[in-house]
Amino acid sequence: MSSLLARTAIAYVIVFAVPMILPVIFIKFVGLGGLRELVTYEARDTPLHKLDPRLKVLYPIAMGVLSIILNWDFMLIVFGLSIIPWFWLRPSRAKIRVLMIMVIGPGLTGFWSQGLYYLPSPPIHYIYQFPWTISWLGSPGITAYGMVFGLQQTARVLVTVSTSMLILVSTDVGDFTWAFERFRMPPQVGFALTAALRFLPDMISRTMLVFRAIELRGYDLSRPRWYQVGQWWDYARRVCRCVVLVTVPLLVGSLRGTTTMAMVADARGFGANKRRGSLQEHHLTAVDVGGYVVLVVLVGTAIVLNHFHIGARPY
Amino acid sequence: MRCGGSTPISGSSDLVAQDVSFAYVGAATAALRHIDLAVAAGEVVLVTGLSGCGKSTLAMALCGLIPSRVHGELRGRVTFGGRPLSGLPPHEASQLVGMVFQNPNLQLINHTVQSEVAFGPENLALPQPEIAARVNWCLEVTSMAGMRTASTVTLSGGQKQRTAIAATLAMRPRVLVLDEPLSDLDPVGAQEVLGTLRRLARDEGTGVVIIEHRVDEVAPWADRVVLMDGGRIVLDQPPRLAWADQDKWAGIGVGVPDVVRLAHALPDAFDGRLPLSVDEAVSAARENWLVPALTQAAAARATARSGLSPPKCAADPVLSWEHVSVDFDATRAVDDVSLAIAEGEWVAMIGANGSGKSTLTGLTVGLGTPSAGQVRFRGKPVRPGKVFEHAAQVALLLQAADEMLFEETVIGELSFGSKFRALPPDPVLTIEEAIAFFGFRGLEQVSPWQLSQGGRQRLALGALLVGAPGVLVLDEPTTGQDAERMRAFLHLLEAVRARTGLTVLTVTHDIRGLASRAARIVLLGEGKVRLDGPASEVFARTEQLRRCGVLAPPVARLQVELLGPATKDVLLSVEEIAATVNAYRQPGVAAGLPASGVPARTAGTS
Repeated sequence: MSSLLARTAIAYVIVFAVPMILPVIFIKFVGLGGLRELVTYEARDTPLHKLDPRLKVLYPIAMGVLSIILNWDFMLIVFGLSIIPWFWLRPSRAKIRVLMIMVIGPGLTGFWSQGLYYLPSPPIHYIYQFPWTISWLGSPGITAYGMVFGLQQTARVLVTVSTSMLILVSTDVGDFTWAFERFRMPPQVGFALTAALRFLPDMISRTMLVFRAIELRGYDLSRPRWYQVGQWWDYARRVCRCVVLVTVPLLVGSLRGTTTMAMVADARGFGANKRRGSLQEHHLTAVDVGGYVVLVVLVGTAIVLNHFHIGARPY
Repeated sequence: MRCGGSTPISGSSDLVAQDVSFAYVGAATAALRHIDLAVAAGEVVLVTGLSGCGKSTLAMALCGLIPSRVHGELRGRVTFGGRPLSGLPPHEASQLVGMVFQNPNLQLINHTVQSEVAFGPENLALPQPEIAARVNWCLEVTSMAGMRTASTVTLSGGQKQRTAIAATLAMRPRVLVLDEPLSDLDPVGAQEVLGTLRRLARDEGTGVVIIEHRVDEVAPWADRVVLMDGGRIVLDQPPRLAWADQDKWAGIGVGVPDVVRLAHALPDAFDGRLPLSVDEAVSAARENWLVPALTQAAAARATARSGLSPPKCAADPVLSWEHVSVDFDATRAVDDVSLAIAEGEWVAMIGANGSGKSTLTGLTVGLGTPSAGQVRFRGKPVRPGKVFEHAAQVALLLQAADEMLFEETVIGELSFGSKFRALPPDPVLTIEEAIAFFGFRGLEQVSPWQLSQGGRQRLALGALLVGAPGVLVLDEPTTGQDAERMRAFLHLLEAVRARTGLTVLTVTHDIRGLASRAARIVLLGEGKVRLDGPASEVFARTEQLRRCGVLAPPVARLQVELLGPATKDVLLSVEEIAATVNAYRQPGVAAGLPASGVPARTAGTS
């Protein structure tokens, strides 16, 4: 009986540890401030910053194609490839911390959830088989096969996240606009992206300010300690209610801001012409050409391998 | 309606508003009424008036944003060189008359300074060499060339405003209209912006219209002063003529530069001239009776001071910072600050933008974490992050008071805190008292958003005082407010102190009003305490203040300029100076002065 009790306790820890730890890790190490960090461009003098903006726009698309057409076995390799450019970028310590959480968090989720719920064909080898006292929840135990599959699934998603983030933090928003125009896209697309990227960090800052203000007005947003499990429900309830309360000042402030911004854009002649000029003149360099070649080779190789049914996804 | 002496409307004037009236959609009254105004090339026009008198609406009308982007009923004509602006698309109008809005943060759409400045010319599809030439010129004239690749989010307030001006100039307007460009700036940032505008007018021939409450700082630069009231222009004259008669200004409640008030109070001290700046006042008064009178008064104060024991440190401070430092990544925002504030004190914390004022005051409620040292409230440590806990002890009113309102009615706001925390047995004010004290009787069920900006600020302050805080901390409470509202807020604050005896700590750039009223001034520079003492002594250190990005009040600078840099203390108000020097210039009267050498402070000084 004691063995059953111990096994049940261990199983409960395995099942509930990750969903309980992940929000805490996110709040503690990322939070709203971290999200702001994530989408903020960092002006630096690195080879990545100097790349042709068109190449940078194409890079996440090309890596996205790889993640779509290759099967699960190749996903960790593709994700590894998407990590390499970060070493050239040398992001700030704060950004690395947030990025690590944003990668490890989903990685852990996929690893854990698929380990519990993705079952291979029998016979199944469990790393830890759950007793009947918990298996009724739907998972008979945790398997290595499922965990690896979870990692591959996460990697598929993270390829796009990693490549997009890399471009966001290394590309001036004006360069995005320029690249979109060279691809013959309407200027509104570039402007919408520019405004979103420019004002998203401001919006996050304002949200943080309003959350501070509501605490100053006597609303309790203090977090319980991790071991005060009984208080977490009440904390979640208070946070949810607070979201409703802060909506009005956030909405009022944002609407006021957008009116001014729209008038500024009008006054600066946005939309006055179908085509726009550009201060920057980007000339193709050897590094750009090298970058294009690498992208073409990667996508081309994936297509050829697919043609020979190597790494191809079953349809 | 136009007043005598104003610039005539003629064909030579570039920007002309003729009999312009405007009412917003659904508004019962017109925002502009029969406005006639002309702005010539190279002219600097200061437009001032109470909040809500129609200044910003006038700015938008002058720029052609009315009625194309701001809808309502427009009558009359706004023309540039005879060409009507009202019907032009905004991008065409902005190449004639450019507008710089109040908040630079909302105007900087792009990420770097140069991409922001290039945004307009790029939209006009100009060739690259032309765009580059415009960007270079704009950055040069606004002194931003050294920061062309800097991120706009990392700029100081003054730099952001100059970037916004550069971006507007890139459209090559002939007239620039600026709506309260100084409101968020520290005095040094304000001087940077004003210097840029002056250069533009003088060297480039750009007409400049500055809408501003801070008349002290703009007055020396302006060629004309326009006073508005109730949507009308009630005065439009060169500065010396405009301020020759103070009654009109006093009647409306709009502030007049301190040196102008002093010249009116002491007409023979400035050789019968009306100085507009401290420099003008100094050169006019250097050789006459004012200097000996001020010298005698200073000597009398020094004698009185020598008989007093030095001020003692508070034995049981209500708030204290003990060797506190705060780091943000690699930057030290606060550097080894030790301060103590005694029960019932009124302390003003001043310094340039980024000097660590808000960081330091935020620590008192647990906002932010010191990297070293300890902050205490009544001897107990303030725990970082425990804002809810400490907000019951220290009431912090944020600069953006609007962000502190969350309810649908005034009464809801005042009772907001009590929904989540038991009402204290000894509140500073009960809800009923707060309604009466802050003037919300009959407005209990009104939405906070229907109140004026000043009303919303009063409501946020009242809601904080319905608890039982021991200290009231105010972060820039008078930013962007006109003289009347500032006066009203100061009176309110004094009434709160008189009634409750609350300890008050204010963070402010309002050196002339708020800081001068405080008993004690703490000057911060680069995160360190540089000066700490009575306002009359701190404001005598004009050079040290300047090095920390702060300009002493004009009357303080005038006294230091006249008496020399060794001046130990200064008189802080026009009324004090006038009463004191008048007493000393009359033989035999000086002996009857109080020991301090300063007559009792006149009621209602500002």
